[in-house]
Amino acid sequence: MIRFEGVHKFFGKLHVLNNVNLHVKKGEVVVVCGPSGSGKSTLIRTINQLEPINEGKLIVDGMDLSDPKVNINKLRAEVGFVFQQFNLYPHLTALKNITLAPIKIRGATKREAEEQAVALLTRVGLAEKKDAHPSQLSGGQQQRVAIARALAMKPKIMLFDEPTSALDPEMIGEVLDVMKDLAQSGMTMMVVTHEMGFAREVSHRVCFIDFGTILEEAEPAEFFKNPKHERLKQFLKQVLSPMH
Amino acid sequence: MGLDFHVIWDNLTYFFIGRYPHGPLGGVALTFYLAVVSCILSFFGGMFLGLLAISRNRVIRYASEAVIQIVRGMPLLMVIFWMYFLYPALMGRAMPESQTVILALTFFTSAYMSQIVKAGIEGIPKGQTEAAISTGLTHRHTMIYVILPQALRNMIPSFVNQFVSLIKDTSLAFIVGVSELTHVATQINNRSLIYPTEIFLFIAVVYFIFCYAFTTLSRWLEKRLAWAKAI
Repeated sequence: MIRFEGVHKFFGKLHVLNNVNLHVKKGEVVVVCGPSGSGKSTLIRTINQLEPINEGKLIVDGMDLSDPKVNINKLRAEVGFVFQQFNLYPHLTALKNITLAPIKIRGATKREAEEQAVALLTRVGLAEKKDAHPSQLSGGQQQRVAIARALAMKPKIMLFDEPTSALDPEMIGEVLDVMKDLAQSGMTMMVVTHEMGFAREVSHRVCFIDFGTILEEAEPAEFFKNPKHERLKQFLKQVLSPMH
Repeated sequence: MGLDFHVIWDNLTYFFIGRYPHGPLGGVALTFYLAVVSCILSFFGGMFLGLLAISRNRVIRYASEAVIQIVRGMPLLMVIFWMYFLYPALMGRAMPESQTVILALTFFTSAYMSQIVKAGIEGIPKGQTEAAISTGLTHRHTMIYVILPQALRNMIPSFVNQFVSLIKDTSLAFIVGVSELTHVATQINNRSLIYPTEIFLFIAVVYFIFCYAFTTLSRWLEKRLAWAKAI
């Protein structure tokens, strides 16, 4: 589904992605973790070209992103993206946040789109909030609406960029539950997160990235029990027991 | 000295509608007409120029920036003279004076409005655009359905400032002989000679009421559109 081959990315002189090689198969859930500034957000943002890559090859859903003929809007319609800051449209209700793209891009009628939106809101447990504006929702609720908005395009891949990092602790669970449910439905997912519980329990593979390079990649059991790289050992120590 | 407002009452119709219906519309009515038409036109002109100014095409961006900077660097009076003298010379036919003024006011105000539009759009967090294009929306859709509805609301106070200036700037039309309120006032003053205080006090009040009514209206509009801004 997603294949990185020797991908490089620069912000000016800063080498944010350094020779990234990664393959995510259909139905796989891959968690990416790493210290801040390691390039993990940039990595996930290249997949739907919020950040274009400078070198290497990136193939998403059979489309080669280095090919200038690729229709980027079409690609993005197939890839759902969930942001740390939710980025709901504040002037629209939850329902309209969800129906906008299906109506404009998929050519759905207003009724079809609304029925689908209500079904999605039910799935994320927010059916009764369909007429609420984002400002009337808690952070966790906003993020769940944002997930529903991304799902409304029936994407083949879902990307999550630190979906729980801006949330109060008691709201993290409700968002992770939705993500877990989604993972179990067979969605191909790539998740940047510090939620190691989620990585351990839900993911098929965990990647550790630092200085723009994937330093370690393993199944969760192996990843947490037997970290090989020195940087990862340090990182896990800090993330798993932050008091020390 | 005592003020004698008889001169106002005696000329009230003339103050409000000029020589209409026996001649062209004038006075307060014409001022109102100039202001409303120029407001509407410069809203669209400002949107258009503002959107060009943030175009992803560099040539379009620079060209519109140049026009904006040039117009902003000129006195309005000069723009009116330009339209008045240059338009007939260039186009080979004259234009009614009131249209000349509308065109000048629109051109001038659009340049200022475009800066408001540009700043308003750029003031919407980048995450909004990213969220929209991530769902597959095109840049045009994103602008129309996501960015502009939010940006326009934020622009309202600045628009109002600009429109209030525009209402007052219609008085400059008197320089090319358009018989709007200020022009009518000078005519009456020239005829009656001894009541300048009364006459100009009166038109000051009329301008004030105009602007105040407009500000109040827009404040009401702003409240009605008061969807919460913060995420």
